[in-house]
This record gives sequence, structure tokens and C-alpha cells, in this order.
Amino acid sequence: MVLIVLTIIVAIISESNILYTGTLIIVLSIVKFLGVSFYFMELRKSHPFWKLSVLIFVVLFAITVIILI
Amino acid sequence: MQTATVNHKKLYYPPGGILLWIIIFLELFTFGIALIAMILYSKYEPEIFHNSRLLLNSTFGVINTVFLLTSGFFIAKSVEYFKVSNKSKTLCYLKLTMLGGVLFLLLKSLEYYGKIDAGLTMGYNTFFSFYWMLTLFHVIHVIVGLVILISIYFGIKKENSSTKLEDMEAGATFWHLCDLIWLLLFPVIYLLF
Repeated sequence: MVLIVLTIIVAIISESNILYTGTLIIVLSIVKFLGVSFYFMELRKSHPFWKLSVLIFVVLFAITVIILI
Repeated sequence: MQTATVNHKKLYYPPGGILLWIIIFLELFTFGIALIAMILYSKYEPEIFHNSRLLLNSTFGVINTVFLLTSGFFIAKSVEYFKVSNKSKTLCYLKLTMLGGVLFLLLKSLEYYGKIDAGLTMGYNTFFSFYWMLTLFHVIHVIVGLVILISIYFGIKKENSSTKLEDMEAGATFWHLCDLIWLLLFPVIYLLF
């Protein structure tokens, strides 16, 4: 439910004229990404290596996109 | 149904299996780099990218996200019931998961039909080249995921089912991969430009 609400918020933000729209869209999307990987995929029960790998990937992706937009 | 559990705290046994996680990272890097390339290309043609993005139906994108997230929740419930050997609930949630996938594909087909009808095909401009390449590649993943889920469904449904928890978790992990890829594609393609 939280993930669905976040999706709707992201869609509303994208249509608004507030500052840092792109950054907000990416940050909220990354929260959803982490929600799916840690809770649905049960990554929270796995070895720290896998948790860190996913975190590093997603943070690197988000930073790159935010810098480029 | 063989529900012997694996200790996922061990490095070589992540949920779904190590091979699948290697695939997941390869896929995420592939899509991630393609999306970053798309953003870089948008710097050369910002107006084309903005106008093309406005031609996409973001409501379809939101609904498709809801379909995938909901089906992701259902497959997680299905794995949960598999672990406690509740066959009927496992199958019920598996059916709901597949329904989510089918609805996603139906809405995507409708979206593609509209785009093709309006002449917005792969060669229309750079934005649509990326749009078709990335979304079609994702759709192929959803179709493969559905085939895996169908095979698991019929495997569990059999009288003397030999489906193991590892098989179920691997299928579910692949299905979640479709969620993860879409969660990267949707904001960049439908909302960012």
C-alpha cells in the first residue's frame, strides 16, 4: 500500500511546478525500489554483501541521474 | 511441496539463489546504463525529449506500476504460504500474481497500439528509440516471468508435487526483478523529461 501511495505521489509531483521535481521523483522511486528489494525479495534476511551491493547500485544510479538532469 | 528452508544469511545463498542474483545485477546495470545514456542524449535534444515525453500516457504508467507492485506483493504472500505448506493459498496468490502480469501486458499492448497508430514508432526520434527498446526489453522479461510462474503453478498443483522452496523463491525473485526494472524505467521515461 505504501508503495502504491508513493507511486501516486510521484505522478502528482511530476505534474507540479515545485522546485527539484526531478530529484524528488528519483528519490521516491529509489525508496520504492528499496521497499521491493528489501521486503518483497526478503533481502533484509540475506548476507550483508547482497544488501550493500543493492544499496551501492541504487545510490550510484540515483546520484548519476540527479547530477545529469 | 518441499518446504525445507535455506539459511539466507550465508553469502552464497541469497533468496532466489546466487545465479539469479548475478543475473539481477547484470540486468540492473544494463538497464541503468541505458537509462543514463538516454538522459545524456536528452541534453542534445531537450525539446524533442520533453515534447515526446508529453506524448506518453503517464496514467497508463502509474496503473502499470500499481499492477506490478500488487502482483509483487501477491507473489511474496504466495512464497510465505508455500513455506507453511498451505497449497491452496499458495496457488490462489500465484493466480493473482499472474493476473497482475497479464493486466500489465494488456495495458502495455493498448499503449503500444496507440503509439503505433499515431506513427510514434522506433525510428520516430531518439526518445522513442529508447522508449521502444527499453520497454519492449522489459515486456520480454514480464513474459518470461509469466512462463516461469505458470510452470511453478502447474508444478505445485500436481498431486505429488516435487516443487522445492528454492524453485518457488527463484521464480518469485525473477518476478520481482521485473518490478525492479520497471521502477527504474517508469520515472525516467514517463516523468523526468
